[in-house]
Amino acid sequence: MKVKGSPYLRANKPLFQKLLAALLEQYPYASILASDVREKSYMVNRRLTSVNGGGIFSGRGFVVKVFDGQHWSEHSFNRISEELLPDVLAQIRETVSLSDTALPAGTVEGVFSAPAEEKTVFQGSTELEVDPEELGDDVILERLTAIRDRGLRYSDQLLDCQVRTEWNRTSKLFLSPNKDMEQNIMWTTGTAVTIAHRGQEIKNSYQSMSCLGGMELLDRLAQTIEKAARTTIELLDSVPIVPGEYECVCAPDVTGMIVHEAFGHGLEMDMFVKDRAQAKRFIGQYVASPLVTMHDGASSAPQTGSFFFDDEGVMAHDTIIIDKGVLKTGMSDLQSAMILGTEPTGNGRRESYRRKAYTRMTNTWFEGGTDSVEDMIASVKDGLLLDEPSSGMEDPKNWGIQCMVSFAREIKDGKLTGRIFSPIVLSGYVPDLLKSITMMSPDVELAGGGFCGKGYKELMKVSDGGPWIKARIRLG
Amino acid sequence: MIDRIINTLKELDISTYLVTETVTHSAEAFFVKKRMDLKRRTTLADYTASVYRTMERDGETLVGVCDAPVYPGMDDSELREALSSAYHAASFAGNPRYELLSGRKEDFVPARSGYAEMPLEECMRTTAEAIFAPDVHEDVFVNSVEVFALRKVRRVVNSRGVDVSWESYNVNGEYVIQCVDPSDVETHHIFSLREPDPAALSAEVEASLARTRDRALASRPPKAGSYTVILSEDNVRELLSWYTARSGSGMVYQRYSDWAVGQNVQGEDIRGDRLTVTLKADEPYDSAGIPLKDRPLLENGVLRTVHGGFRFAHYLGIEPTGQYSCTEVPTGSTPLAEMKKKPYLYVVSFSDFQMNSFSGHFGGEIRLAYLYDGETVTPVTGGSINGSILEAQGNMVFSKERYRSARFSGPYAVAIENVAVAGLNG
Repeated sequence: MKVKGSPYLRANKPLFQKLLAALLEQYPYASILASDVREKSYMVNRRLTSVNGGGIFSGRGFVVKVFDGQHWSEHSFNRISEELLPDVLAQIRETVSLSDTALPAGTVEGVFSAPAEEKTVFQGSTELEVDPEELGDDVILERLTAIRDRGLRYSDQLLDCQVRTEWNRTSKLFLSPNKDMEQNIMWTTGTAVTIAHRGQEIKNSYQSMSCLGGMELLDRLAQTIEKAARTTIELLDSVPIVPGEYECVCAPDVTGMIVHEAFGHGLEMDMFVKDRAQAKRFIGQYVASPLVTMHDGASSAPQTGSFFFDDEGVMAHDTIIIDKGVLKTGMSDLQSAMILGTEPTGNGRRESYRRKAYTRMTNTWFEGGTDSVEDMIASVKDGLLLDEPSSGMEDPKNWGIQCMVSFAREIKDGKLTGRIFSPIVLSGYVPDLLKSITMMSPDVELAGGGFCGKGYKELMKVSDGGPWIKARIRLG
Repeated sequence: MIDRIINTLKELDISTYLVTETVTHSAEAFFVKKRMDLKRRTTLADYTASVYRTMERDGETLVGVCDAPVYPGMDDSELREALSSAYHAASFAGNPRYELLSGRKEDFVPARSGYAEMPLEECMRTTAEAIFAPDVHEDVFVNSVEVFALRKVRRVVNSRGVDVSWESYNVNGEYVIQCVDPSDVETHHIFSLREPDPAALSAEVEASLARTRDRALASRPPKAGSYTVILSEDNVRELLSWYTARSGSGMVYQRYSDWAVGQNVQGEDIRGDRLTVTLKADEPYDSAGIPLKDRPLLENGVLRTVHGGFRFAHYLGIEPTGQYSCTEVPTGSTPLAEMKKKPYLYVVSFSDFQMNSFSGHFGGEIRLAYLYDGETVTPVTGGSINGSILEAQGNMVFSKERYRSARFSGPYAVAIENVAVAGLNG
């Protein structure tokens, strides 16, 4: 079934059109992004049960972007009505004239041009199988409770088993002189975490998944709980790793973290505008093994980074970033593309209507290869299998890697020995890692259980992934 | 709107609730070098309505809670639907009974910040000017700046009489410093200010310019091994966040932490400095309307307070302290210069230094560190540190110098022996 649209946005569309018309009487270009985001999350652990009707993206509001013939301004607000319209217009005009009083000494305001827009009328909704609102809060909590109980039954050593799911339904309208667009998207995530302790030290393992859809995800979540529980118990015997460079086999979610954190952020072309991305100088060059082909795009895969159009009214793309090891292009928002003289790729995204649009990733992933996971492990004489990414941070300028994974399993003479190391910090130089990839499995898995930031802010839902890969990585 | 929400709750016979209103105004600017690419303002009113439902199940009284999505512009029927749906959902989320904080209507607390004396646009402009003031060099410069100047007015009302409101100011953002010679590098910096202090911000930028110049000279990671590691500034706050996290009432109630008041949580074998931490009240109330005051968290390594909101406090039978985001730690007696007399690895910039409040492991990739081998100081980059607070807490030595940021006031630096560092082999 299709995701339902927002009655609020549809009912108020004439008001938004009236606001746009009033702005266009004064300014050469203006756009309005109106969004209505509903979220609900559920959590069950040994001692608590919770349901929350809001989330970090929940909200209903508007952002107006105005081009006054030379400069760009934005105004975010969340109250509008016929009566408030004159006030809203006055506030926007005040924002446009802000530089008269707020331009810092010694700086200048950038002079730009208006976007060239093609006439676009669009309406689209994604699909879902199980509507969480029809399924009901009681059934969702019962199913999470059953998964929790299954996890806790695995071992008496488990301190806790926390199971959570969250759904998000986003409706957006984008209106500008030539665009009239509406989209309705639903994604759902699920996570199961099992926890045990070794003295003061708490060890945990998780299974996380996501889908572009609804509560059909819960069936898959239930299948993973024993794996998380088993790993947690194994982690009780984990030891610190001896720092060094290792031959590594990476699980798909670790591949995803490398794709996203280590490399993807450096391809966000607002970083090209600022001269903050080393990738700018490497277009057309080998940056990875010839085995590697990398995609980004809201239409490249059905996942949590999917949409029909971005927050600047640009239709979604499937961009080939790396083609058989050669860096082809970056990904771009509209304003960066206008400055750079390139085509926007549908990557202009806002954390919400409250925030500025930046170039952001969507669904970012490596294509699969031809090697089996068994052959990868068998090919390693002395190395590690890396699993469960925990965090990462970009370094677009210098392509340094910071990624953390929960654990590594020892491989000796082509076999897993049962020894386990935790935690693990990956470091090194991104192209060195990507060029060292020698094997890739056929199947590609994407997940979007977590959040992506730009620096330390601007949280965003994305997905990333790829196949199992074998590479050489510096670990500590 | 807040009155409409409460009236609708009463119409629906929802007798236990906590409603918040946050009105935010901001002025924002985005610079690429000294060119302002975009200016923004926001005018936002946000509401939350938490509805509580008491129920009997198997002879036990339970309480469920659910936050309702409430937005400005909702008509009466939509508001009723949002609140009644949340009340329905709360019936499936039963937890042991607890009570909201009781209180009364209190006077509005205006912000005491110097930012309150000027328009937000001026807060934004003067902050950007302070960042650009030291940007006078040819080889190293400010690459980009984002400034967000915010004024918030918050009100919290609950069904047990609490009705508090207060104002706060914050100016935050980030700046990136670039150095192009001998190699093209950058360093990334974030700031968060509650008081205007342009001279201090300019001095911080000046120091960042100097460090970025050193970053351009650094080309190799340190050799892998074990080092006396020095951490400074907000990395000290992140390291010590272990103690605030593990003493949270939610961690204790869920048995992720077995800490109790009176326990020596830093351990007995202390060769370095004993730790004292104060929870600092940087706002008059927390998000649930609990009045905040300065409280001792640790004294000489001994836990003095298990802290948190009213729910877990009720479960644990302790006083609800509210949620804190700011800590203060006394400085040590060792000058930073003294720490630097023996071989060390002083990491001044990580890509993202993190403390894991579950495992106690801390670490991060090194963007810039100074390596002193006993003879020379060399800037290094790359590699990572990977330590455990459980092993480190006995030999932390704090600097005599003080560091202050929006969320932390404490020693400028800490030295820790025997921390594992990943880097070059051999």
